[in-house]
Amino acid sequence: MSADQSPLEIKGLRKSYGSFEAVKGVSFDVRPGEIFGLLGPNGAGKTSIISVVVTLERPSAGQALVFGQDVQVNPRYTKSVIGYVPQEIINHGFFNVEEILSFYSGYFGKRKNQDRMEWILQRLQLWEHRKKKVKQLSGGMKRRLLIAKALVHEPKLLLLDEPTAGVDIELRCSLWDFVVELKKMGVTILLTTHYLEEAEKLCDRVAIIHQGELRCVGETHGLIHELTQRQVVVVLKSELKPIRHPLLVAQREHELEFRLPASMAVGELLLELGLDMAVVQDLRISEGSLEDAFQCIVGEKS
Amino acid sequence: MSSKAQLSWVPFFTLFRRECMRFQKVAAQTLLTPLINSSLYLLIFGVSLGQHISLVSGVSYLAFLIPGLVMMSCLNNAFQNSSSSVGGAKFAGELEDFKVTPLSEQQIIWALSFGGLARGLIVGFITYLVGQAFYFLTHGAWLGVEHPLILLFFLIVGGLAFAQLGLMVAFWAKTFDQLSVVGGFILLPLLYLGGVFFSIESLHPFWRNLAQFNPLLYLINGVRYGILGISDVPLGFAAVVSLLALLLMYVLALRLLRVSSFSRW
Repeated sequence: MSADQSPLEIKGLRKSYGSFEAVKGVSFDVRPGEIFGLLGPNGAGKTSIISVVVTLERPSAGQALVFGQDVQVNPRYTKSVIGYVPQEIINHGFFNVEEILSFYSGYFGKRKNQDRMEWILQRLQLWEHRKKKVKQLSGGMKRRLLIAKALVHEPKLLLLDEPTAGVDIELRCSLWDFVVELKKMGVTILLTTHYLEEAEKLCDRVAIIHQGELRCVGETHGLIHELTQRQVVVVLKSELKPIRHPLLVAQREHELEFRLPASMAVGELLLELGLDMAVVQDLRISEGSLEDAFQCIVGEKS
Repeated sequence: MSSKAQLSWVPFFTLFRRECMRFQKVAAQTLLTPLINSSLYLLIFGVSLGQHISLVSGVSYLAFLIPGLVMMSCLNNAFQNSSSSVGGAKFAGELEDFKVTPLSEQQIIWALSFGGLARGLIVGFITYLVGQAFYFLTHGAWLGVEHPLILLFFLIVGGLAFAQLGLMVAFWAKTFDQLSVVGGFILLPLLYLGGVFFSIESLHPFWRNLAQFNPLLYLINGVRYGILGISDVPLGFAAVVSLLALLLMYVLALRLLRVSSFSRW
């Protein structure tokens, strides 16, 4: 496994369930050490893609490569380097948290894994609950247990499928902090989430899929810049008579509000307006959000 | 131990340990209930009715019954253990864990099979001890084991075959109903008609010939030979049929494991 080897490459992936095609020839790659967001509305095909990567589903066509190894050809290797957090809670009826992690370590060939297990349980605030069975845990604890299981074998690639679904804001924040900590430790992370504001803060790159098709992939802020319009508010010292400009959104007593496409510089706008700089008191520029970009992509064909 | 060797044995023993812990955690259901069942069978059939039954082989009916019940307990519990383990794991979503970790198909099949066998052997042994107690009370002597290695061979082969039958059914089933159909409508009649309670020598020739097609007849008579030294069928043939049954169950369980969904019910 070389340092620049892509942790995950999806090549022309298709997945059909009967006559329904859930994934329609999707290709993208995840770079080493990054947090990659796989975004899309419900039913977009995100979980199908992840299910193929962890071999829960077979692809109808195409490939998923983990550190260069095809998941269908060398599944034992690819599974040994992946940590997978499923969307749905798993109930291990008979066993407590400690036993579950011990079994999970064993499945990955780790016989004595106490130190790692203790670190994970402490870090995820499950240590004091380690003797409890799953049914005795709260919803948030069950989610954290899923993450703990995925980390016992020190995976190189972590797949988080909606890890914060149904989780309160405090826990969400602490989970995302933990994800950032894992990234710093060198773990590559692919996550899906419906919390786009959080994805915008966390993800180095994102892919947006919709109706089984990849609509765009790229650097998070690059995509936002490319797909959304900046809001530029020119604050004036004195009231101006009404002006006309194609990018003007609103004119208030002392403010002119514009929406600028990515291709246009603020200086260009000011030149076009021909304003005397002496009357400009302030300029407020705000970027669009990932949510705007998402709406732009998902909204255009739906 | 090299990392490669660790990868092959640690997952196997972990899964086997999980299976054993699973049935120990519900011991009242998995170990105590069979104990009560066996005691009732021995009391009603072996002690009460058995006094009025004489067998061609000359052994008492209670002595004849004990090996049959030992094997019936072993097979039934081996089947129940693996089928309920996989069925329960499917219901809870836990079966996906087997698929997303580097457990191989062979490790899954054999660890679950040996887990089923372990429960089958424990319950079989408990049944034997209860049988011994009844035998001592009625005959004033202990019932010996004539051929311990032959007894062990048939218990292990039969237990593994039935554990794999349980796996096959559980991997195939999509509901708990389907799971219980096989146990109730197929397995139980075959067990009862496999010579647990009667010798096929006492049957009408038509039924005797039909019984020859029941593979359980050979497993049960193998165990009876191991304990009592008597059998309704040739021992060598019984051993071959038992091994073929194990091979068939293994192939079917592996096939079902490969083609079935690991998704939650």
